[in-house]
Amino acid sequence: MSSTTITPATQPAPAAEPAFVPKRRLRPGDILFWVLAIVVSIVILTPIYVLFKVSVSTVAQATAPSPSWLIRSVTWDNWNRLLTWDVIGSPLTNSLTVATGTAILAVLLAAPAAYVISRLPPRSRYLVILAVLFTRMFPEVIIATPIATNFFRWGLNDTNLGLMMAHLIRTLPLACWIMIGSFQVIPRDLEEASFVDGGSKISTLVRVVLPLGLPGIAVAAIFAWLDSWNDLLYAIYLFLTERTLPLVTYYYANRGTVTDVATFSIIMTIPVILITLFLQRWIRSGYLSGAVKG
Amino acid sequence: MGPQPTAGGVLATPSAPSAVPARSRRGFGRWLKRNRLEIALCAPFALYVTFFMFVPVLQSIYYSFVHRGTSDFTFDNYRTVVNQSQFSDAFWNTIGITIMGVSMEMVIGLGIALMLARAFRGRGLFRSIVLIPMGVPTLVAGAAMLYFIGFNGYLNKLLLDLGIIDVPVYWQQSGLRGMFVIALSDLWKATPLVVLILLAGLEAIPGDVYEAADVDGANGWQKFWNHTIPLLMPAITMALILRAIDAFRIFDIAMVIAGQAIPVMSSFVYFDYQAGRTNTASAAAVILLLMIVVFVVAYIFLVERRSEVER
Repeated sequence: MSSTTITPATQPAPAAEPAFVPKRRLRPGDILFWVLAIVVSIVILTPIYVLFKVSVSTVAQATAPSPSWLIRSVTWDNWNRLLTWDVIGSPLTNSLTVATGTAILAVLLAAPAAYVISRLPPRSRYLVILAVLFTRMFPEVIIATPIATNFFRWGLNDTNLGLMMAHLIRTLPLACWIMIGSFQVIPRDLEEASFVDGGSKISTLVRVVLPLGLPGIAVAAIFAWLDSWNDLLYAIYLFLTERTLPLVTYYYANRGTVTDVATFSIIMTIPVILITLFLQRWIRSGYLSGAVKG
Repeated sequence: MGPQPTAGGVLATPSAPSAVPARSRRGFGRWLKRNRLEIALCAPFALYVTFFMFVPVLQSIYYSFVHRGTSDFTFDNYRTVVNQSQFSDAFWNTIGITIMGVSMEMVIGLGIALMLARAFRGRGLFRSIVLIPMGVPTLVAGAAMLYFIGFNGYLNKLLLDLGIIDVPVYWQQSGLRGMFVIALSDLWKATPLVVLILLAGLEAIPGDVYEAADVDGANGWQKFWNHTIPLLMPAITMALILRAIDAFRIFDIAMVIAGQAIPVMSSFVYFDYQAGRTNTASAAAVILLLMIVVFVVAYIFLVERRSEVER
C-alpha cells in the first residue's frame, strides 16, 4: 500500500509532461545534444541567409572568389530595380491569378467528392484514398507532355486558364485527401439531427457539413494555392515566355544573373513562408470547436 | 429478407412478386436514382481526374509505341531513347540522386526526429526552424544551392576554411559530384517531411515498450535497434516510399541547378519534348513511370515479405 503512494513521488513529472524539463546537472550527452541542435539549426537557416545576403550585394561581391560569410555592406539596388511594376507586375499578377483560381477550382471540384468519399463504408473509403494517393506515382512529365500537346490544339497554352487547369491535375488528389480527413471527423449525428429537423440532403450539406468542414476546406485551398504558386513544371511546358514568378526565377538562373535570382527567390518565398506560418496556427486549432457540445 | 408469405401478412404478399423482378431488371437504374446526389457530387472530380490525368498517361503510353509520322506500332522510340548518351546520363543521375538523397534524408530525418522526441527547452523553436524548408518553394531551394555549389560558392569556401580541400572543386558537372549537389538541395528541402512522418511514428510508440526493455536491462542502443526501429517501420516505409517517388520525379531543383548539363529523367523528357520529339519524350516518361512502379512494388514486396518471415 505504501509503495503505491511513494511511486508517483519518486518518478516525477518528466514522463507524463514532455514539455517540462527537470532540473539536473548538465551531462556530456546534453552538451552534445545542444551542439547538434545548434549545428542543425544553422545548417537549415544558412541557405535562406545566403539568399538574402546575395540579394543585398552587388554582382561583383556575389561572384567574388572566397565570398564572405558576414554581410559587410548592404545595397538595395537589386530590390529597387526588380520591385518595379514593369519587371514584376505581370508575372506577379499571373502567379496570383493562377494560384487563386487553382485553389478555388480545386475546392469546388474536390470538396463534394471528398464529402461523399468520407461517408463511404471504411473499406471502400480506404480503397479510394489509396487510389487517390496512388496517382502520386505518375511522374508529372508523363501527364504534362500530352497535356501540353492537347492544350496547344485547344488554344489553352499560353493562357492562365490553361495553367490553372494543368495545376488542378496535381492539386486535386491532395486537396481531396485533405478534405476527406476533415469531413470524416464531422459526426454523422449532426447530419441525422438535421434530417430529423426536416432538412433535405442539400440543405444539410450547406448548413451543417460546410461550416464544420470549413477549416479542412481552407487548408486544402491553401495547399492548392501553394502548389500552384511554386510550380515550374507545368508552367514551363505551357508557357514560352516568362509568365509566372517561378518561370522568371528559372530563366534568370539560366542566364546567370546571380543577384537577381536571389532577389526573385526571396520575393517568391515571402508569401509562402507567411502562409505556412498562418497555416500552422490554423491546423492546431481544433477542427470541431465545440460543435458537438452545442 | 426474401418473400415470407406467412409472416408478411396482407400488405407484403401482393407487392413481393412484382417488386423482385423489377429490382433485378432495373437494379442499376434504381441505384443511380437513389444515389443521384452522391453521383452528381462525385462526377466533376472523377471526370476531371479521368480526362486530365488517366487519359494523358494512356496517351503518353500510346505515343511511346507509335511511329512519329505514320502512327504505326513500333519499338523504335524506346530504341532511340535508350541509345542516347543524354538518356543514360539522366537514368543513372536519377537513380544516383534518389539513392543518395533518400538515404541521407532518412538517416538525418530520423536523427532530428529522435532529437525532437525528447523534452528540452527550446523544443518548439527547434521544431519551427527544422520545418522552415518545407515552406520554401522547391525552385528556391535549388536556387539557394546555386550560391553554395558554384566554383566560388560557399560549399568550397566552407571546405577550404575547414582545411578539407586545398583547391576549389568544380561541383556543377555530370557524374557523382552533380548528383551529390542535387541530392544535397533535395536533402535540405525534403528532410522536414521525413522528420514530421517519423516524429508522428515515434510519438505513437507506447512508453511501456521501453519500460519493459528497461526491466530486461537493455541499453540505449539495444532499445533503439530492437524496439524503436521495428515499431517505427510503418512510418519509415511511408516516408521512404513518398520521398523516393518524389526523388525519382525530381525536376525543379535539377532544372535550376544544372539545366541540361546534369540531366535527370524528368528534365530529359522536358527537353526532348521541347525539341519537338514528343514520341521519344513519351517513351522516356514511360520508362520513368516503370522505374517508380518497379521500386514501389519491389520495396513493398521485399519489406513485407521479410517482416512476414520475422513473424
